[in-house]
Amino acid sequence: MDQISDIDSQIIRFYRVTKHFGETCALQDLSFNVRKNEFLFITGPSGAGKSTLIKLLYMGERMTGGYAIVDGMNLARMGRRQIPELRRRIGVIFQDFKLIDSRTVFQNVALVMEAAGFKSRSLIRERVEDLLELVGLAHHAEAYPPTLSGGEKQRAAVARAMVGKPKIILADEPTASLDPDASERVLRLLRAAHARGATVVITTHDRDLISRFDARVVYLESGRRVDSPGREETG
Amino acid sequence: MIDVFRRSLSDFLRHRFLHGVCLFTIALSVFIVSAFGLFFINAGSLMEAWQKGVRITAYLKPDVTRQQAVELSKSVKEYDGVDEVSYIPKKEGFAWLKKQLGPQSSLLSDLEGNPLPDALEIGPEENIKTADAVDRLAAKIGRQAEVADVEYAQEWLHRFRGIYNLFRVTAAVMAGLVFVAIMFIVANTIRLILYSRQEEIEITRIIGADEAFIKYPLYLEGVMLGLSGGLAGLALLYVVFSATVPKLSPGGLLPYFQITFLGPEIMLLILISSMLVGWLGCYISIRRFLRV
Repeated sequence: MDQISDIDSQIIRFYRVTKHFGETCALQDLSFNVRKNEFLFITGPSGAGKSTLIKLLYMGERMTGGYAIVDGMNLARMGRRQIPELRRRIGVIFQDFKLIDSRTVFQNVALVMEAAGFKSRSLIRERVEDLLELVGLAHHAEAYPPTLSGGEKQRAAVARAMVGKPKIILADEPTASLDPDASERVLRLLRAAHARGATVVITTHDRDLISRFDARVVYLESGRRVDSPGREETG
Repeated sequence: MIDVFRRSLSDFLRHRFLHGVCLFTIALSVFIVSAFGLFFINAGSLMEAWQKGVRITAYLKPDVTRQQAVELSKSVKEYDGVDEVSYIPKKEGFAWLKKQLGPQSSLLSDLEGNPLPDALEIGPEENIKTADAVDRLAAKIGRQAEVADVEYAQEWLHRFRGIYNLFRVTAAVMAGLVFVAIMFIVANTIRLILYSRQEEIEITRIIGADEAFIKYPLYLEGVMLGLSGGLAGLALLYVVFSATVPKLSPGGLLPYFQITFLGPEIMLLILISSMLVGWLGCYISIRRFLRV
């Protein structure tokens, strides 16, 4: 179990979290903390529970047991009406991008701000254009996702995750379906988000990717936290 | 609100095909129901027009003198609901009958004498609109000692009214059933729209949208579908009406009556109903769909 030295500095706190899907146990007694503005990898083989963990963090799934706090919000006792508020504090990036095909890149990114209740069209336009500039998609603002390459789609997804200025960015296998150049570009953007103050949690099974960062790693196997070979857990 | 409307319109245009199917369904349903409405409203007006033209004929007993007949016509004229009374001596009545028969009037030449009695022809006031009021007036005239029999289009009017009332009840039940059927058709079509947008809705939720942000534009889309379907249905009915009714109009046969299109109040009611159907259909689908 992680040592809880300074609760205020921790933005994510998991204590003995369990998730069952019927008879199947996806996560078992998982405990770990994430500090504010930390860059953290969660790794493990397929079926280890990485994606389930990400889903629990943004309340895509409810935990079956245990106790979890994300940015001061208690996930175990969270009502349906509170979920949008939690999700506005989190930007999520998926392996399959999850962009809305019938909306342009600009509209996909702007939707986050509209959903968060921003009314000023000029503010939305300004911020979305800045983000698209940052991710190198300004020239594709009016393009529809099906016309983009995988790397471009993922950069659009990163822009969408960052536009609401979330405290936490969760990336579930963000580079799994990308070529090395596109992966590198996406990771640079995640670094940029981290540099802007966001806490970044990335799940990946790519050891090479992890080795390129000086970041803490949480290793999962069959739904349990285990010590990663070659790395020491500091909690 | 403007933002919700903008998003609804944008979604409406983005999913043109399914919205088009739904709009067509509503338009067709509105067309059918409105056509029924148009028929019944005009049938009602037609009956009213006929009733206005109803005249009561009181046949007098053979022993009634001309003087008594004139006295009776004066007293009947004073009855409530009587507009005019004409005394028709049997000679005049026979001449009128001959004229009406035209070429067939030779049939009357075989008769021995004039079989017609003297009569009073009574025209009820225009405000006597119900069949019951005409019945009461005719019964009162029939009770006079000088009157042998009273005749008016009583049975015919009653039968027509009976059929009309039966149709009206049937139509009301059918309209109710059609309303429910349309609502479920719309609900299912909207559910198809929702299924086609399931991923989009899920993504919108993940990025932090609350239920209101997702639902309100969908409700508004339902209302817009209802309104546009209603307008299209009425427009279609008007086109069909304009193309066919001038050829069907009874015109000279019934000078009191002219087939008319639905009035503005009825059209407004139809549009409000179709918007309600759109909204309810949406409400049912969303409740089932977003519960998951």
